Amino acid sequence: MRCSVVVLLALVGAAPALAQGPAAGSWREELRRLRGASIVLSARGGAKTGLRPMGTGGKGGLARLLVPRRPTSVRDPASVAATIAESEPNDNVHTADSVALGDRAIGVVSPAGDVDTWFVDLTAGQFLSVDVDAAEVGSSLDPTLALIAPDGRTLLAFNDDFDGLDSRISYRVPASGRYYVVIRAFGATGGPGLTYAINFGTATCAAVGTEQEPNGTPGTAAPVAIGDSVSGEICPGDDSPMGDVDYWAFTAQAGTTIELDVDADRGLFGDAFIALFASDGTTRLAFNDDADGADPRLQHSIVTTGTYYAAVSTLADPGGNPFPYTLHVRTTPQGPGDPITVRADRVGQPLGLAVGSTGDLFVGDLTGNRVVRVSGQGAVTTFATGIPSPTGLAFDAFGHLLVASPADGTVYRVTPQGQATRFITDAGFPFWIAVAPDGRIWLTDVSDRSLRRYSPTGRFEARFDAINVGGFGPGPLAIGPSGEPYFSNGNEIWKLVNGQPQRVFRDGFVIWAFAFDVAGNIYAPAPAAGLIKLFDPTGTIVADPFAVGPDAPQAVAFGRDGTGATVARLFATDQRVGRVIEMNPAGVEHPGQPAGFVPPPFTLDVAAVSLLGGGALSAADLQFLDELGNHNGRYDVGDLQAYLKTVSGLPAAAAAAPQRRPGSDR
Amino acid sequence: MSRSRWILAMVAALLLGAACSNDPTSGAPRPGTLTLRLTTPHADDGAMLFKVSGPPIDSATAVNPSLRLFTRRVDGSTIVGAVVGVVANGAVVTLQVPDVGAAAGYTARVLEVADRQNALRASLTDYTLTVAP
Repeated sequence: MRCSVVVLLALVGAAPALAQGPAAGSWREELRRLRGASIVLSARGGAKTGLRPMGTGGKGGLARLLVPRRPTSVRDPASVAATIAESEPNDNVHTADSVALGDRAIGVVSPAGDVDTWFVDLTAGQFLSVDVDAAEVGSSLDPTLALIAPDGRTLLAFNDDFDGLDSRISYRVPASGRYYVVIRAFGATGGPGLTYAINFGTATCAAVGTEQEPNGTPGTAAPVAIGDSVSGEICPGDDSPMGDVDYWAFTAQAGTTIELDVDADRGLFGDAFIALFASDGTTRLAFNDDADGADPRLQHSIVTTGTYYAAVSTLADPGGNPFPYTLHVRTTPQGPGDPITVRADRVGQPLGLAVGSTGDLFVGDLTGNRVVRVSGQGAVTTFATGIPSPTGLAFDAFGHLLVASPADGTVYRVTPQGQATRFITDAGFPFWIAVAPDGRIWLTDVSDRSLRRYSPTGRFEARFDAINVGGFGPGPLAIGPSGEPYFSNGNEIWKLVNGQPQRVFRDGFVIWAFAFDVAGNIYAPAPAAGLIKLFDPTGTIVADPFAVGPDAPQAVAFGRDGTGATVARLFATDQRVGRVIEMNPAGVEHPGQPAGFVPPPFTLDVAAVSLLGGGALSAADLQFLDELGNHNGRYDVGDLQAYLKTVSGLPAAAAAAPQRRPGSDR
Repeated sequence: MSRSRWILAMVAALLLGAACSNDPTSGAPRPGTLTLRLTTPHADDGAMLFKVSGPPIDSATAVNPSLRLFTRRVDGSTIVGAVVGVVANGAVVTLQVPDVGAAAGYTARVLEVADRQNALRASLTDYTLTVAP
């Protein structure tokens, strides 16, 4: 279980990766993707097929994956330096047949299980291309291809299908030496008809689409108009050892939201990456790897009119096989919450968000291990430090900020002066946190997929299993209009009714930390889509999008005025760009639901007189006060003290007095 | 007794009476303040519930701004109070009384104490409250 905890933390920590997860699918699927990412990254030339052992998994016994043929021509034998026929036995590196760059090797995979090995001597920096012609020229062979390092053991690259079923590996060799190429039939088949030719050469990049190389810098970027599409090929070539990057320049107007959408993954295993750069050509504003399958897409709200640069590249295999792509540059329709206003910039990686009683915003900086405070004037100051990877934030009944830290399995309590101490330590992986109107604390524990409830003073009260809700989670959490907890499992919002989870609605995108307005409407950030949606209390769309200005919104929260009352202003953390933003208040119809603890409707004097024997409170009120205080089953002077703290009734000197054992009353 | 002796005796009695009327230890009530003083074995008391009984008490106030006091008069001879804040050894509450000369007639008792984390003290041993001028 700890493993999954670490993976989830990595997922959270890799905020852009999370924000750019697939457009549909649960968090669990995103976790799988994250786990798989390291394999993809290490499997050069096999970005999609992976390092699949021969004869196991993959296509064996399963329906064949039909891969479109790539429109490349078969090499003219006349242009080949030499045609070398295989000489059996050549099953391993010790018996490999020799070829040179420019040669064409021919052979047959027979009998079943046959393996043919070739070697070629290369010098450091050469960009090898090993291209198989087999099925493409009528052979019955469905080849797989592997490139082995000079040590004869290390697998450097693997490819199954590139041109249709035919394999190709492109690889820049880091050191001079003898490299081995191994060809065999998929599924360990073989026979006289399974002939092949392997063209050994260096990778060359042809002109593809509308691009014109060189375009590897903002200065050489080709222009593209918003609304147009352009195309090109990501091809490493000898002139770009770090991998090909194609820059495109466009002009965008302030207040618009542009979308950069790349199509490359059309069965050719091109795994493109898109980045948006500011007018200076160096400031990266946004990026995305995978949004539509392996294809990237991003949206960005333009703050300043000017020239911007879209850069298409690949992270998965920068020195690998070329692939073509099409880039669409367009604007997206805005919602009532647009345009956005940036309230704070360079906040690190902002995730959790809570609004204090005077309207200041408190933001968890995931990688900065801190909580920052954003004043109404936008001043950003560090409020608390030493909280590893803060996620959920909420204010408790006493005005302390509670901060969930999955990294060390702790909920921290931060005083108004910014002193953080461990508060709740018995949850495995406290992810998100919320405080109900009665002061009770709710958190989601991803370690055992549960919700946990605590008294206002942090005493554990109950655990509610949420494994059966499916998806991933329970994740982000908010208190609903009737005081019950709502939570996301990824694509779905659930609520806890009488201790039992009930699904409220489902959406096509992963929903992060949502918020309620007083009408019960739900503002739901969808980071993968780069927008915020608005649902009514039943889950019916009210506005989609509500706002497209955010790049990858993580958490939303309503503002509060100087009295602590919520107002019709909606804020969000935008992690990918390190910002705290505000939606257009003209589009926010209702104030937010009152945040956190709501003091009961009796005065402090009434509470005191009841303790002194005046008897003005009901039994329920007395129970409430006891729960607020020391929960010993009766209303006493400790409970009165707790109530004074919640309503700021303590004298200033007493409020500032040192606390001997924080949390020790639990 | 002769007439002159009678007159002398009356004058002496009058003089003695006049002298007695200026004696501060005489039986006439004298309004003023008394102080409720606490002895506590702890350094982190945050709230205390107490009761004072005895002669009448006109009013009660906390001795400093770090304390907040709530009181309720139970009857003519008893008040109960709760004081919240930095509760420490020494003066806690000031009582306005109609007769400070009756200080010895008051009794005060600690009913509950909570630490600053709201937890009720399990034992009140070594807690004392005294009323003194």
